[in-house]
Amino acid sequence: MSEVIVITSGKGGVGKTTTTANIGTGLAYLGYSVVLIDTDIGLRNLDVVMGLENRIIYNLVDVVEGNCRMKQALIRDKRCPNLYLLPSAQTRDKSSVNPGQMKKLTDDLREDFDYILLDCPAGIEQGFQNAIAGADRALVVTTPEVSAIRDADRIIGLMEAAGMQEMDLIVNRIRMDMVRRGDMMSVEDVSDILAVNIIGAVPDDEDIVISTNQGEPLVDTETMAGQAYMNICKRITGEAVPFLDLDSRKGILVRISGFLKRA
Amino acid sequence: MRQLFRMPKSNSGEIARSRLKLLLVSDKAHVNPGLVSLIRDDMILVLSRYAQVDSGRLELRLTRMNDGAGEGIPALSATFPIRELTGKRTEECFSTLR
Repeated sequence: MSEVIVITSGKGGVGKTTTTANIGTGLAYLGYSVVLIDTDIGLRNLDVVMGLENRIIYNLVDVVEGNCRMKQALIRDKRCPNLYLLPSAQTRDKSSVNPGQMKKLTDDLREDFDYILLDCPAGIEQGFQNAIAGADRALVVTTPEVSAIRDADRIIGLMEAAGMQEMDLIVNRIRMDMVRRGDMMSVEDVSDILAVNIIGAVPDDEDIVISTNQGEPLVDTETMAGQAYMNICKRITGEAVPFLDLDSRKGILVRISGFLKRA
Repeated sequence: MRQLFRMPKSNSGEIARSRLKLLLVSDKAHVNPGLVSLIRDDMILVLSRYAQVDSGRLELRLTRMNDGAGEGIPALSATFPIRELTGKRTEECFSTLR
């Protein structure tokens, strides 16, 4: 049975696209057939994060308008043969597609894919309405900041009202050193306030920037963020995975104190 | 270094938490945060007549109450941690009321 999952946040710049790229790739690594849909019409980005920008010929709007067949617009991933991208249109606007058309598009894809992931644009206007129209489930991405959590709360309310069946939260860019100092809200603080199940927390990691620079998702690499994303993928499939201890301090002082404690 | 010299813990995370809670209450009630903040201050004032309120730890929450139809009506619930109940209405409040 296939599942349509929308990745959304309300606020921009919290990591929706990076999250979509990594979770999509991770699910493909786990053996599922996956298609990623960039629903941000006019501001296309998922192709760049996936490193597939040079292969685009047709896009989402072309499929909806019947300018091409779905198979012509789907781009196969560089690494995973079971992972595809449906890119967005760069030169059109959000009103080129309506929620009914999006729902039909995702329903058509259910026949061929296990997971259909929708990268939602920021905001709560038409682009958001389009992205959630056909989704069974939502992953809400937020960062431990007042503005991002406020926006997450708003879209959780909107999706509840729209009848979204399942919603989980991803807390992105957490910095355990700052949480420890009392200068950042913890994952628990965020989940208490939003009252939504946490499906994973991703540390603020330099490796993310490097991976985005290269156009290669880092899921399942030996990095902390890569492991965090892989665990989220497994939880999406229903596997119970214990939460990562993000609090591995690597500072020289800590290493010395650890050594002294052992001695 | 902070840990080395046992500097006091900073608390901007806590500030973020309380700002956020107030924001979410006002967002859900479709009112300006300033108004919720006024309601909170007034409630503290009223309760202070009868008890010592720990205003730093009070919680305001907007929930839904069943009105017998649809998804219910919004309800404001507040938890006021009380340090000490005075047991009677304080005199100074009586005088300000008159």
